[in-house]
Amino acid sequence: MAIVERTHVPAIEAIGLEKTYGRGAKAPAAVKPTTLTVPWGQVLGVLGPNGAGKTTIIKMIGGLITPSAGTIRVGGFDVARQRAQAVRQIGAVLEGSRNVYWPLSAWENLMYFGQLKGLRAAEIKPRAQRLLTELGLWERRHETVGSFSRGMQQKVAVSAALITDPPIILLDEPTIGLDVEAARTFKDWIKHLARDEDKTILLTTHQLEGAQELSDRVAVIKEGEIIADLPTAELLARHAENRFEIRIMGSPNGTVLPPGARIEPDGDQTRVLLPPDTDDRAVFVVLGRLGAAGSQLVSVAKARPSLEEVFIRLIHNGPAADRAPAKEVVA
Amino acid sequence: MSPIAFQTRLARTEVGKGLRLMWRRRSLVVAAAIVYGLTYLGISLFIGGGHLVEDLMVRTLPPMLAVLVASTAAVEGTAGIAEEINGGTLEQTRLSPASPQLQALGRMTALAIEGLAVAIVVGIVFVFGVGLHINPQPAALIPVVLTVLDALGYGLIMTALVVRVASIGAISHVGTMAIMAFGGTLVPITFFPHGMEVFARFIPTSLGVEAINSTLAGHGLGATWADGTLPWLLVHTAVVLTAGFSLYAINMRHAQREGGLRPR
Repeated sequence: MAIVERTHVPAIEAIGLEKTYGRGAKAPAAVKPTTLTVPWGQVLGVLGPNGAGKTTIIKMIGGLITPSAGTIRVGGFDVARQRAQAVRQIGAVLEGSRNVYWPLSAWENLMYFGQLKGLRAAEIKPRAQRLLTELGLWERRHETVGSFSRGMQQKVAVSAALITDPPIILLDEPTIGLDVEAARTFKDWIKHLARDEDKTILLTTHQLEGAQELSDRVAVIKEGEIIADLPTAELLARHAENRFEIRIMGSPNGTVLPPGARIEPDGDQTRVLLPPDTDDRAVFVVLGRLGAAGSQLVSVAKARPSLEEVFIRLIHNGPAADRAPAKEVVA
Repeated sequence: MSPIAFQTRLARTEVGKGLRLMWRRRSLVVAAAIVYGLTYLGISLFIGGGHLVEDLMVRTLPPMLAVLVASTAAVEGTAGIAEEINGGTLEQTRLSPASPQLQALGRMTALAIEGLAVAIVVGIVFVFGVGLHINPQPAALIPVVLTVLDALGYGLIMTALVVRVASIGAISHVGTMAIMAFGGTLVPITFFPHGMEVFARFIPTSLGVEAINSTLAGHGLGATWADGTLPWLLVHTAVVLTAGFSLYAINMRHAQREGGLRPR
């Protein structure tokens, strides 16, 4: 199969991508003009609330939804004009979808999807054997996928996406509906693909902890617009605050806190976030007050936001809340 | 590998998948064959006033078999695509270098094999079970092939409409009933009043059935050509197939524009 050389051409390049469903000035824009470049071997986490446009972007990249404007190149091939070459670069697991034929066996599905991309049976068989063995499905390869558990079905979907060994993988909420163990296996598999097989992965998920762990870079979409697009570490660093976080059991019992301090209940505990740039002496003062009020101290640490916190902040306040002059992008 | 060989292999892949899926639901295929067979038996008894009229059945069996092929193409075609849209596999199949038309060709070929298999079994049951005297004529092969293509074209039109028309399942059933009623399964269409006979000739498979009956009766292809049945059958088949493939391509493009390939 013709897989492009990893030259100066990016794995995915979307320029001026735009999607509006319906016609007329009042037609809602599912994706506002967007430019996105994904280099080879990168895992890009695309995050956003439901209806933000994540799936539309993924499907436009896969050629399954026609953009209203803009161009998309996958492995250097224009998805609109060189569709046959472009789709050969892609394997996809799509959201809300079975992805594979449940009445067929795992083996039949892999043979079908491999041949559908133009591979010969002799080329597919060893790869199918390897994938099914690695994912623990080899012994049950001749059973119909419909008889499998949800996790196993998703493994077959992943195998089908990988059967042609595509360099680019689109994963649209791949862990949705999976139990904790299956989701963990799946996450490990994505890590393996990214680290050991050097795949370029575009991942959408609502599991932000997983996205933080897997993604080299994160793009946050809100109402069809990318409002942040940075390497994960940089995004977290940008939103890191020079502030202390004090965790106590129960509530602060009316303790007087410095102006600008935030109190956030967190289960049995309370998180007291002191204002930015509070010095160490002031921290001890607050600790003393809390101790005097009978609060049981759990921890004191420099506040480090998780991706989830950054995401919530971005979605609710947008970059403007951080006084960013414009949307954050990779320099 | 040449582009044609490559495309042929892609189409063969679709045919293989279609046949495997058919095999998985073979009990439904057998049940449908039994229901159609019993329906035809009932119709024949009704028309014959409680008796099976062999002379009439010799002329109404071919249209019944054509109904089986058309019905398989339309009902299974629409149900298959709808199932694939809802299951999300249609989107996955579009991540292929194969064009939508090529995939439709593979899909319809599988349905043709399924429809013909059922028709052949039902035909054998009636020919040997009732003792119908049908003389196979090599000349009938051409109208048979054209009739099958005509039926597939009709099925493809219905299949193509799935992504645009939500109630296509009901429409395809109505279409199949129309083919049964006006295609010659009840009585040969030459028995119809003139206006209805003209209308019936526009119904998929009816011209083909006329040509088949004519050749089975010993009239050569020349006779069916001379009376205009064969040329009109060619035109009808070409138009229906072209409409089917065009509509399929147009509707797939429309679905890609409107996000209509996603599970509903």
